Amino acid sequence: MDQIVDLYLSDQAVQTKWERLLLKLGLSNFSSREVNTIDHTLGIVDDEGQLVGTGSVSGNVLKYIGVCNQGATPGSRFNQIVTALQQYQFNRKIFHNFVFTKTQYSISFQHLGFTELAHTEQAAFLESGTPDVNDFLAAIPRIPNQSSKKVAAIVMNANPFTLGHRQLVQLASQENDLVYVFVVATDASLFKTSERMQLVKKGTADLKNVLVVSGGDYLVSQATFPAYFLKTPDDLIKTQTTIDARVFKNIIAPKLSINRRYLGTEPFSHTTNFYNKSLINELSPQIKVKVVPRFSNNNQVITATQVRRLIKVGDLEAIKLLVPATTMDFIKGNQKILQTRIQKGMNINGN
Amino acid sequence: MEIKTIGVAGTLESSDIQIMISKGNDGIQIDLDSEVIKAYGDQIKKVITDTLNKFGINNAKVKATDKGALDCVIAARTLAAAQRATETTDKPELEVLQ
Repeated sequence: MDQIVDLYLSDQAVQTKWERLLLKLGLSNFSSREVNTIDHTLGIVDDEGQLVGTGSVSGNVLKYIGVCNQGATPGSRFNQIVTALQQYQFNRKIFHNFVFTKTQYSISFQHLGFTELAHTEQAAFLESGTPDVNDFLAAIPRIPNQSSKKVAAIVMNANPFTLGHRQLVQLASQENDLVYVFVVATDASLFKTSERMQLVKKGTADLKNVLVVSGGDYLVSQATFPAYFLKTPDDLIKTQTTIDARVFKNIIAPKLSINRRYLGTEPFSHTTNFYNKSLINELSPQIKVKVVPRFSNNNQVITATQVRRLIKVGDLEAIKLLVPATTMDFIKGNQKILQTRIQKGMNINGN
Repeated sequence: MEIKTIGVAGTLESSDIQIMISKGNDGIQIDLDSEVIKAYGDQIKKVITDTLNKFGINNAKVKATDKGALDCVIAARTLAAAQRATETTDKPELEVLQ
């Protein structure tokens, strides 16, 4: 009988065995960037003590799943490892899981109750469990006759909400009947998710047709688009941005009747620049993409990165020119806390 | 019976069924995935609904991934998931299965 065992990759001998199995199965990316995010790894061991299958979890994402079918009923070891991983997740109260896999394996996951959200030639993105994307969409507020209205969407991390963000939202608000501002939900930035949400809400409170909602797991999240939060090679960024764009186009936008998406040009961030290009490619013509040049104040381009650098050095006067009063108040009141977070190693030069 | 959390029971292995129960407010809504849905879909849903009703749950969202389970397995897994969702596993209500 095959047995499910825990694998501790911190043990070099275990990791070597694990890598050898995955290599044999065609998985070869063992960069520390990927491997370090793993929370736990399980393995299947056969009668002779050989490792014949494995799978890992990282937050709510299943990773590095591979099984050898030699001497077993096809599919049974795969079902076993996915069940074991889910059980592990359920035990720690994670009932909603994602998987990124090669497109050819998408169907195997679909047989286990996973739903495909998007795929490209190389990769597929699936989810399983509760609450799913339909629950996420059902909870988003709507207006009467939304399907016949001009509805726009903006996705932002707003770390923190600047005058640049404000002007982008204001422009969209003037040009549309309804604007959804999706705030990135992953908590991996200097400003915490709840703080970013609050600042966007306060900073747009006067614009009556703007709805600020969480991007959940579906818009630029750690699950769909890890490259946004980690330095990543270009081909991987391309796959992830395409998946993110397709989830938006095929699932999010139709349900909310979104027909326009607003983007700010990105002069500095390589990843965001890539993301914008991929959105334009994927969304048009069904969804009109409007690219708005970055706003400047006194010939200085406004970026949140700039604001974070100024927080680090404590230059409140300079920040005043870059953020609305609502954000300014928050920074003033929490300057010490923010600076402590930077000192503790929070990266402020990413997104 | 009040659903307090998400309850899961069962595996994705052959002859089993995995049942996930969460809060709902529109009757028993079942999202069923099964290779034999055409022949047995209605029967599987009936067993799940009957088991939940007998247990005292009339509103719930259910996700079921069936791998060819027999009715007795479906009922047992449904009850286990329901008791986990209602946090009543300390008082097994096995008479529901009769």
